[in-house]
Amino acid sequence: MKKFNLVTLATKNIRRKKFRTGILVFSISLIVSVLVFGLSFIINVSSGIERASARLGADLIVVPVGARSYAEEVLLESKSKSFYMNKNIINRVKKIEGVDVITFHTYLTTIQGVCCDVPEATVVAFNQESDFIIMPWLEKAIGRKLEKNEAIVGHESFLNIGLGLMDAMLFGTRFKIMGALDKTGTGLDNAIFTSDENVEEILQKGRSQLKPDEISIIFVKVKEGYDPYIVGRIIEGDIIEADVVTRSDIGKDITGALGDINMIFSITVFMASILSVLLAWAIFSATVNERLREVGVMLALGAKESHVAKLFFIEVFFIGLMGSVCGVVFGTALSLLLAKSFTILKNLPGGLNAVDRAVIGAAGFVIGTGICILGAFSPVQRIKKLEPLAVIKGELA
Amino acid sequence: MHIVLSDVTKSYFIGKDRFDAVRNVSLEIDSREFISIVGHSGSGKTTLLSIIGGIARPTSGTVLYEGKDIYSLDKDRLSEYRCEKTGFIFQFASLLPNLTSEENVLLPVLFKTGNRAIAAAEKKAAELLHMAGVGDKLNAYPSQLSGGQQRRVAIARAFINDPEVVLADEPTGDLDEATEAEIMRFFKRMNEEAGTTFIMVTHNSGLARDTGRQLKMDNGSISVVQGI
Ligand SMILES: Nc1ncnc2c1ncn2[C@@H]1O[C@H](COP(=O)(O)OP(=O)(O)O)[C@@H](O)[C@H]1O
Ligand SMILES: [Mg+2]
Repeated sequence: MKKFNLVTLATKNIRRKKFRTGILVFSISLIVSVLVFGLSFIINVSSGIERASARLGADLIVVPVGARSYAEEVLLESKSKSFYMNKNIINRVKKIEGVDVITFHTYLTTIQGVCCDVPEATVVAFNQESDFIIMPWLEKAIGRKLEKNEAIVGHESFLNIGLGLMDAMLFGTRFKIMGALDKTGTGLDNAIFTSDENVEEILQKGRSQLKPDEISIIFVKVKEGYDPYIVGRIIEGDIIEADVVTRSDIGKDITGALGDINMIFSITVFMASILSVLLAWAIFSATVNERLREVGVMLALGAKESHVAKLFFIEVFFIGLMGSVCGVVFGTALSLLLAKSFTILKNLPGGLNAVDRAVIGAAGFVIGTGICILGAFSPVQRIKKLEPLAVIKGELA
Repeated sequence: MHIVLSDVTKSYFIGKDRFDAVRNVSLEIDSREFISIVGHSGSGKTTLLSIIGGIARPTSGTVLYEGKDIYSLDKDRLSEYRCEKTGFIFQFASLLPNLTSEENVLLPVLFKTGNRAIAAAEKKAAELLHMAGVGDKLNAYPSQLSGGQQRRVAIARAFINDPEVVLADEPTGDLDEATEAEIMRFFKRMNEEAGTTFIMVTHNSGLARDTGRQLKMDNGSISVVQGI
């Protein structure tokens, strides 16, 4: 004979009302997939921001007044933005107590549609003498500094198409593309990098909005023992033309907005979960009612309440399991599929690793199965009040 | 095996009206007895059998099994009494519809000893089904059996845990005479060889007369027709 135990008995029971079970499985999988999808999105964004700001390797960034969000868009989301301040701010920042080393970038935006230029992209002119943001990556990629009229591209740049590297026309000047950086996990992965020696020639060609003696951003490392936040406040106080973002604050606007999305999402999922619990409750109430006579017979044959409860909960667990598994698969697929249609995700570095996905999947699984068990709980309790003879004869207890 | 019912009454309340389905029944049942109960429909036979079987709590009075009041046991102990000491053959169809004959017969084993004992009990289940005359229907589902065949499966099921006492509620009600006789021979053999006690409700006065003690239910009260 085939195996016969409470589990096989429960699986036989599951197959009895296929349509009804199907509806429950489907609704559990819906709620779980929404959960998995939403969690993937939120965790993806927040961990992406964290990773990116950590990898920039600076404690503070100094930007022109009012350009904070532009800077974040460039550094986190790979957007092209132009914002400039006077070069003399470099020396003024250097003098502030607690500032250890600094370097600076000038961001130039290539203009789309102009003859012979490349599509819109950020060109980062950086100072190779002082740089600590790009140099470690450059060192790894080509093992030397960039010469004049040389450039290197970020890992995600449209120029890094794996077909060999060509020269590129940028602002009317021909640049030799020397290679591609490894993935840095920041918004700069989409940029094109070149030495700031080239800025003068670019200025002469007049193909950018850049004016002489302008830079975009200053990166600061603070000395050991100094609180970046306090140093930042001093810089802002001393230099009214500049705003400061501390590393921990990078992406705060985005995470702030994310918090709101998170809240809306949580409320939605919570309500949908309650709805699913009610559905599970209704379905299991009906199921228990229908099987009351059988339950009575089982009790009369010597089943303990725990046997009958186990039988139902195994069934409930399997239904929850099926729904959860479908939901996790579907939600994960959805998040992978739609990842590129969210601007914020498209531009954020990283993405979820296997562990993240496993944790999210586990959460979906626990919630999906939990919903099912919660819904079935009170219907199954009914069997405790039954007198076998009464239910066998068909009187409802 | 010794069962003592003292002053057992089971009342139903319909609105304010009280109806005694079983009234002040006192009864002593000894090991190896074969008792038959006759009586009109509605006289309380099923109710009495259920009270003895531990599946219907009396309103008053006690049922002692080996000196212990079974209705003062906790729920799990009462379940064990039903499972291990008694075998109930219901008057009503009582097979689980989604289990095969064999699985239905093995169900009480699952409740008694759990999964491990199933394999060992398979042979016995097949034997019992064979003795009950449905040895060729091991893998049939109740819906694929006639009413009489379903009844035989239920009879086989009552013996799977080697009960001390079999409580049979009109066990041959929907069987033809030949099969009825066959089942009775089987009961008798179990009574004589295995020492199983039988309490059997029947409408067949011929069968009743053929038992050691014949009781009659009338309006919830019991009286002795034949025997002690
Ligand atoms: N739940 C109930 N409520 C009210 N009366 C009941 C209930 N169950 C049984 N009865 C009554 O108890 C009496 C005995 O029933 P039962 O023991 O099934 O009779 P029998 O088996 O002798 O035909 C019947 O008259 C029946 O109407
Ligand atoms: Mg009856």
